[in-house]
Amino acid sequence: MKHLKSLNKKAQLINQAVSPEEVEDVVAMQTVVGCTATTDPGWELDPFGGLGSLCQPMESDLYGCADACWWPAQVPDTMHTYPDWGKDVAKANEDWRKLDGIFEDGE
Amino acid sequence: MAPTNKSTRRTLIGSGVLLLAGLASASVQADDAKQIIRDRCLACHTESGDASAPNFSRISEQRKTPEGWLFTINRMINLRGLQISDDEKREVVRYLADTQGLAPSEAAPFRYLLEQDTNLVEEGVDQALAETCARCHSAARFGLQRRTTEEWQLLVNFHMGQFPTTEFHSLARDRKWYEIAHDEVAVQLGEQYPLLTPAWDNWKQAVKSDLDGRWRVTGFVPGKGEYDAWMTTSKADGGRYNLSLEGQYADGSPLSGSGKATVYTGYEWRASITIDGVKMRQVMAADAKGMSMNGRMFLASEREIGGVMSALKDTKAPAVVAVMPSYLRKGESTALTIIGQNLDGDIDLGPGVKVEKVLERSDDRIHLMARATGDEGTQSVQVGAAELASGLAVYGELARVEVTPQNAVARIGGMSKMPKVRVAYRAVGYSAGADGKPGTEDDLRLGYMPAEWSIKPADEMAAEEKDAEFAGTIDAAGIFTPGDDGPNPKRKMMANNVGRLAVVASVKDAGEAVEGDGSLLVSVPDFVRRVLD
Repeated sequence: MKHLKSLNKKAQLINQAVSPEEVEDVVAMQTVVGCTATTDPGWELDPFGGLGSLCQPMESDLYGCADACWWPAQVPDTMHTYPDWGKDVAKANEDWRKLDGIFEDGE
Repeated sequence: MAPTNKSTRRTLIGSGVLLLAGLASASVQADDAKQIIRDRCLACHTESGDASAPNFSRISEQRKTPEGWLFTINRMINLRGLQISDDEKREVVRYLADTQGLAPSEAAPFRYLLEQDTNLVEEGVDQALAETCARCHSAARFGLQRRTTEEWQLLVNFHMGQFPTTEFHSLARDRKWYEIAHDEVAVQLGEQYPLLTPAWDNWKQAVKSDLDGRWRVTGFVPGKGEYDAWMTTSKADGGRYNLSLEGQYADGSPLSGSGKATVYTGYEWRASITIDGVKMRQVMAADAKGMSMNGRMFLASEREIGGVMSALKDTKAPAVVAVMPSYLRKGESTALTIIGQNLDGDIDLGPGVKVEKVLERSDDRIHLMARATGDEGTQSVQVGAAELASGLAVYGELARVEVTPQNAVARIGGMSKMPKVRVAYRAVGYSAGADGKPGTEDDLRLGYMPAEWSIKPADEMAAEEKDAEFAGTIDAAGIFTPGDDGPNPKRKMMANNVGRLAVVASVKDAGEAVEGDGSLLVSVPDFVRRVLD
């Protein structure tokens, strides 16, 4: 890494955590209950506690990650659990208004 | 209990069970629930052992809270195609929470999750458990379960089968995740949270108290303020309770509501109540003698918006339950309200505190003017034979303001089908204590104080991204409302209205403003709403 220069903010952030010890420190970070920060990137926060490394806007590549159940606690995984989620929203970046949640908390 | 729905009735008649209305008993209820499990669950689960004390595979090896069982059954409906009516579901949840629940001491460390008070960072989570489990969901979710080691291992297998990319996440792909999770972490969970515990054995045998009666209640509703009220509870059919709540907010406006409650596991109070047209829920735990309950009441439609709630049973004995406000600045005549029950006799607010005038007095409420001239510190508040230790904090100067919650997440919404997730804030005041330094252990907690609220960017990067401009607003009552969801063309890269903010409370004390702040993350929606995060 010492011969490479980071060009943008995301690369600079990654550079800050190049040693294995630092990576371990960073990823073990605790966040507010219900948030996922450690699944590179997290859903709410990136592994550095910021927003700089997240996909933004999230709608632009939502299915790229949801399909692979990357954050199954926050985004319905369409691989196994909720295959029909987002069925009517072919392009999330255009049809995001139709996005709905899965409400598993019925009484 | 008499069957409450058609399908249950059919089942019971079909199995030859004769029920007479009015002959309600816990054992009939349990038989009912066991039969529902047989009818609904045995397509996949198996039954073994004595019919009167059956073992249902995967079910009998676990203990959970009422919410935990509801979560499991909902998951069976959503993921496994379970067909069950709402009434049957309630019946099974109650049976399982009663017979395979958690003892009060087992649930105690994680009550915040049951109370849906989740704007906090969990501390002290074992590293292996944090890396394996709590990196996606709360540590309380599994901390509120008890299983055999084999059952914990099957839970690992469930995750592997249901969410196979778990192995490829960070903290998984760099190690033998499955082997570690199955052979080490599940074993650790089996030791830390085992199925069989002395605490549960003892609680099962303990005599459970009825929770009917009159309760003196105090609490807080965001946007409305602190309140005091009387809650009347009476037993209804099916082991449920009817309840009513009548009282007033600190500004004098009335509060009135009624609803129904269920008590699970002998101490877990769960109520649905409509207060002045707004549906709310109560989650409280009763103490072992059924004399007091503590927990939280929140909006049924927005579980993040709620506040603490305490109830003390009226046993005709005098009691002081609260002083509002709970602080008194030295040298200033201040109006205080003592909240209690069966109050009779002389009022004593502690050495150096003078009751200047009693403005209004009844047996459950005393409104008075007081002035403190003595030392700083907490005072016990006495009315006749009733005493509330540390009921009033006398202070010289406000030194520090703490914003609560200290760490919170709001979620954008409102433009798609996902609702906005708001955050309700309060400010807690402290004086510096004997050492004169704020932020040290001897700081004197004064209580919740009225504040002016504002937001600012959390740091330089948040300022550069104009997070405070886009991510939302906070109102005079301390309720933060996040921005709309969807890509925002006005932001760089069409970013969402997410942001990292500092929420600032400014509290006036003798003309001087003292500020404190909390950390707020305004995030994207959580598309999977579960019973427990």
